[in-house]
Amino acid sequence: MVSEERRSEILKNLSEGVVEYEEDRVKEYSNMALDEGVDAYDAIMNGLAAGMEIVGDLYDRQEYFVPEILMCADALYAGLDILKPHMKIDVSSGVKGQVVIGTVQGDVHDIGKNLIKMMFDVAGFTVHDLGRDVPLEKFAEEQLRTDSEIVALSAMMTTTMMGMKKVIAMIKEKNPDVAIMLGGAPVTKDVANLFGADGYAESAGNAVQEAIKMIGQLRKLKEKGVSA
Amino acid sequence: MAAMTPKERVKKFMKREPVDTMPIFSGMGMVTVQAIDKMGIRFAEVHGSAEYLAKSATLSAEIFGFDSVIVPYDMCTIPEAMGRGCSTYADAEGILYPTVPTKWENLDTADIKPDWVSTYRMPVVEEALTKLVSAGKYAVGGWVLGPFTLGGQVIELDLLLKGIKKEADKVQSFMKKMTSVVIDVAKRYQALGVDYMTIREMGSGTDLLSPRMWKQLIQPYLREIFEAIESPKILHICGGTDLIVEMMNDCGADALSFDQKNNLVETRRKIGNDILLLGNFDPYGTLCQKDASEVPAIIKGCIDAGVDAVWPGCDIWPDVKAENVEAWVKTAREFGKQPSPAVGRI
Repeated sequence: MVSEERRSEILKNLSEGVVEYEEDRVKEYSNMALDEGVDAYDAIMNGLAAGMEIVGDLYDRQEYFVPEILMCADALYAGLDILKPHMKIDVSSGVKGQVVIGTVQGDVHDIGKNLIKMMFDVAGFTVHDLGRDVPLEKFAEEQLRTDSEIVALSAMMTTTMMGMKKVIAMIKEKNPDVAIMLGGAPVTKDVANLFGADGYAESAGNAVQEAIKMIGQLRKLKEKGVSA
Repeated sequence: MAAMTPKERVKKFMKREPVDTMPIFSGMGMVTVQAIDKMGIRFAEVHGSAEYLAKSATLSAEIFGFDSVIVPYDMCTIPEAMGRGCSTYADAEGILYPTVPTKWENLDTADIKPDWVSTYRMPVVEEALTKLVSAGKYAVGGWVLGPFTLGGQVIELDLLLKGIKKEADKVQSFMKKMTSVVIDVAKRYQALGVDYMTIREMGSGTDLLSPRMWKQLIQPYLREIFEAIESPKILHICGGTDLIVEMMNDCGADALSFDQKNNLVETRRKIGNDILLLGNFDPYGTLCQKDASEVPAIIKGCIDAGVDAVWPGCDIWPDVKAENVEAWVKTAREFGKQPSPAVGRI
């Protein structure tokens, strides 16, 4: 059993490695965590995700911008790839949901989508990533095939945003209980409401902020011993 | 004294000479479904035909009383000619703009063929511009993406963004290539006789880049471009711009254009009255979503904030409500009879 002091040191290095976008350091300490008996979920949530929360603060203070966030995300994934296969499958280890995610037809930009995907990955969701420039009917088909609880749609341009409305109608018609999240620069609260969506984030930066807030909430619930 | 023609109005405005009233024009797409429907074609068909491009631009101007025409409507003509392909969504329902389906895998593989500028739809666009220039009634706008935004069309944007930190030399070399492409195309359009040229460095706002990075990575190349091309020349950037206004004003453009995120009052204070300020209503919200009765206040708000001409913050989404566009034009004409900060009235 790893000592509390050593556990803290490993988590601190994972967190700092994400913040300083040091992929090698994150890989090194992820392997150490496993070798020395730190729980993989603990390392993900209180090391990697905790680091990403700091990244969110730095973005808020306009010290970090999207290039830095992307590099931090790379560092986070470097650790997640090592730690995730070792997560214990039990009810207390994170969310067990499924999400279909993609960028709508006509839009080939996917930075925001990939940042939101990261949030779902970290939180333990099974992510069905359809990629970008996805034909509208594919979202509804994939939701039905996988019985996912959430469908997350991204559009970076006004000129592609209208496709979202059709997707939402298609999905809600077949399964009104599915939660729909919209993201992208042109998406506003009004647009989300008008299209019948359940949530939205307006930019890659906001997406990561929203993602980080959700992870933060999850971490707090875990600290209180509540299963997500 | 007779009213100015649309072309005269825009040309004088861009030289900051007195005009009769505020011109209604833009540096971004202004095509409307009303024009497309009148032609009896589908939106996907318009992009590959010089005749359709010229006619749809002219019809849009005629229907709504715009002072300018501007083509092309999509951002793929140059990437396509650089060999990256073009998805036109010919069978999709409704309006979808073409996109670039393939990108260079990394900064090293970006290889531009010598004859690219005369391939694919580049001659179509030039023919359309030639038709519009020779028609003579409306001011003709040309536009080219800025080097960073163009780069994001032909290489994965995240490679470019991360490369700024990890492979700065390669990114700078890539930006130089894109810069010479932008200059080549802008000069060709100017040689055809366009009346104004907009460089749309849309993706470089502070939603993505820090002001420090903008100064290092964007400003030097924009300066090079504005030094190389003729006036009138406009710099447009979407998204967060409040932190980079002064640097934008130091790039050599005759006019700056912003979208709805910009604080125009602050911007005017920062840049003074010796430069044209254009902007900044939300085109989708104002022309497609809102009730027409709400439009005059939005347009008047732009004028009161200190613009010289009310521009949409981006391309008009073609499926506009006709009455909303009419309200934009009417309000700008009415309140635009007064001088603006940088342009007097006759």
